[in-house]
Amino acid sequence: MSRPFPYTYISCPCADTPVPDPARKRKSRESPQKSPQKPPPERANTDQGKKLSAKEEQRGEDEDEEQTFDPRSPRSNFSLYPPEQLLYCEECHQIKCPRCITEEIVSWYCPSCLFETPSSMVRSDGNRCGRNCFNCPVCTAPLAVSTIENATGNGPQQGPWVLSCGYCLWTTLDIGIKFDKPTNIRSQLQKMTDSTASGAFDRSRQASRTFGDLKHPLSSYASVDEQSNARERDEEQAGPKEDPAAPPMGPDARFAALKNFYRTQIAETSNSPNDQLSSEFGFSSPGALNRLMSLYTSSSRLSGLYGGSKKPKSKPPVMREALTASEGLQIAPEDEKDMIARLQSPECGWDGMASIDQRATQSPDARFVDDLLPLPVLLRTKRAKRCKSCKHILVKPETKPQSTRFRIRLIALSYIPLPTLRPLALSSSSALPAMAPTPDLNSLPPLRPIHVLLTLKNHMFDPVRITLATPPVTPGHVATKVTVLSPQFEIGANSDVWDEALQGGSAPLTSDSRSAVLRGVPEAGKVWDKGRNWTTVVLEVVPGTLPGSSAEGGDGNPDTETNDEDVLAVAASKQDGDVLEIPVFVHMDWDADAQLDQQNVGKGSKPDDKVTRELAYWMVLGVGRIQASL
Amino acid sequence: MPPPKAAKGEYIETDTGNKISRRSQIHGTQHIILGGKTVIQAEAVIRGDLFRTATLPTSTDPNNPSAPAAPNPNTPSVAITVGRYSYISKSAILRPPSRLHRGVHSFYPLKIGDHVFVGEGAVVEAASLGNHVHVGKGAAVGSMAIIKDYAYVLDGAVVPPGMVVPSWCIVGGRPARIVGEVGEGYGVEGAEGGMARERYRVVGRP
Repeated sequence: MSRPFPYTYISCPCADTPVPDPARKRKSRESPQKSPQKPPPERANTDQGKKLSAKEEQRGEDEDEEQTFDPRSPRSNFSLYPPEQLLYCEECHQIKCPRCITEEIVSWYCPSCLFETPSSMVRSDGNRCGRNCFNCPVCTAPLAVSTIENATGNGPQQGPWVLSCGYCLWTTLDIGIKFDKPTNIRSQLQKMTDSTASGAFDRSRQASRTFGDLKHPLSSYASVDEQSNARERDEEQAGPKEDPAAPPMGPDARFAALKNFYRTQIAETSNSPNDQLSSEFGFSSPGALNRLMSLYTSSSRLSGLYGGSKKPKSKPPVMREALTASEGLQIAPEDEKDMIARLQSPECGWDGMASIDQRATQSPDARFVDDLLPLPVLLRTKRAKRCKSCKHILVKPETKPQSTRFRIRLIALSYIPLPTLRPLALSSSSALPAMAPTPDLNSLPPLRPIHVLLTLKNHMFDPVRITLATPPVTPGHVATKVTVLSPQFEIGANSDVWDEALQGGSAPLTSDSRSAVLRGVPEAGKVWDKGRNWTTVVLEVVPGTLPGSSAEGGDGNPDTETNDEDVLAVAASKQDGDVLEIPVFVHMDWDADAQLDQQNVGKGSKPDDKVTRELAYWMVLGVGRIQASL
Repeated sequence: MPPPKAAKGEYIETDTGNKISRRSQIHGTQHIILGGKTVIQAEAVIRGDLFRTATLPTSTDPNNPSAPAAPNPNTPSVAITVGRYSYISKSAILRPPSRLHRGVHSFYPLKIGDHVFVGEGAVVEAASLGNHVHVGKGAAVGSMAIIKDYAYVLDGAVVPPGMVVPSWCIVGGRPARIVGEVGEGYGVEGAEGGMARERYRVVGRP
């Protein structure tokens, strides 16, 4: 487990919710929801238990008792979440895990410059930051814009500028790229890489605008730059345009050229009325949709079936493929001897080759480290979250990327008690319990009882009644005995922060060590400690012995080395089999203020407009790791 | 080797409730601001002596005497600011970031927010750590990095210099990348990310 001991996980009931099938309904491990109001039918799949009548409920509960949650079962992996990741839907009255929600993107932003990207720009920018944010193509660290000239004066700094990585010390100079100005790097880079040969060593600025007349559909942001550099380009255009051996385009430019070429091809060749489809819906593949559609239109077979004149169907006009380099054609090199020679050359070597990870984010042609280009930073999103079953918004963050506030945030911690687990100091031998050492959770001795304190802190403004239940013996290979010393208790209501401050009482958990001294031994049937909105109970845990450990055979073996190895092998084969995790079933009920839409259902409502609500879920307490031998 | 059990009164408690281990190494105390209820554990190193000496290079520069130097040389420049309930673990190092700007190597202030946890042996050279930031054990936060609120740096991560970690993001690896996001409940008092008060309370107890 990823978290240090002790930890608590909460199981989202959705994992045990079967498909809405009445035959399987009873098999659910989920506790029936005995809320007095009937759920609307569309919610039936999430809390199907509510539908049970009172008698069935009883039976359902009996079955629940038989089936305990096994934290080790492979299914549990999908339902156990740390408490802070869970949400709570106020409509369904249920815990919601990341699997029970749908997400909607609120805004896109660059994680590096923290600027928001308007949704209209996201696509044209290729989901990447259109400003100056780049990641190192070698190590993915962010690149910084820095100047080459060592300008000590205080005047305006003069270029040339490069992007440099502070982690692996890669700079764009390694691939021969310099920038004239420190702003708008992305469009500068785009222009250079589009126009120069990919893989060429001299990425000079003489742009060969063989495709200058093509509109680049992917780079609308480049238009600003195009205008600014139009004159410069016109001068350059004269030279290399008619050059038959013009350097090949970069991959982006080639893709754009191909896309443009096929778009014109479709426009030219398709003359059927269905053509609108392709333009409207953006199906620009060569007539694939058109042919499909024409099968079902009046001009084709159907009309023939229904007695139409069997006029021969006109053949779809033939589209030609890209023929020239300016249309995006690239002929695969027949002879890769140059490349092989370069691979073998001592100056390339292993270090000169781009790794798989590096190539995955680059153009397919990139083979050497010299071919790697700086990567514009991928955008991130802020997302709103909705309940999957009732579509209510559970989380809605503020749009601004810098803001950490939420407009709506229904987290489970505001509704279910927050569990915290602490080991109780070993009080058996020592005279002063406070001085006794706390057990080492990473190596719990088997068969020696320990006490752990489970504190549940209520965040609701209503007092809550809690019933805890654990299986007497934990499921799995290691049979650990668990007893909750006071399974039924109450937690007081939460109050305002100001009340807490003004009362000035001891904040929760402070008095614990003192009271531990005073209280001495944990007693069955008594809560350990209690505060305004929290209650601590004691769990007595007797860790079981690991299978195959020396504790089973003869205890106190001096030659534990071989045994340890065996145990390690056993433990490795069972993968964290020695981790002591206790499933705890938590049932809570409280009197909540009735909401308007529920008042008329008044079956369980009390005179003062209070409704009894219930919530039940499984929780897993990660206590520690059991020692292999005594 | 220090004794396993700390000597009596290991922590000095200041008026504002800071608990500072006697075995920590704090340099340049006049350049450090602690917000109160901050814990500094043993063997932690805090380099308040690395503050910005803006007056020095500009005064020696004859070309530009009217540079934006520190207006009043008497006011000490602040090297490190730490917010409330922040926790600097054992043998962590806090060092103000520095960079070469126009040929002059100068230090910049290191700002640490509230409820920040800096793990054991971590090296923090960031420009700022926001509130509720967790820096894991053995992590290194590079120079001029900016870690926003509620960000989580995993154990052993190396945040490269100048990196910006957005809020709610988990970064890890060498170099650090964004590997996930913490849940919405992160930072709630008592839950993960909100344990700062509890951490503060248990420090220095017998």
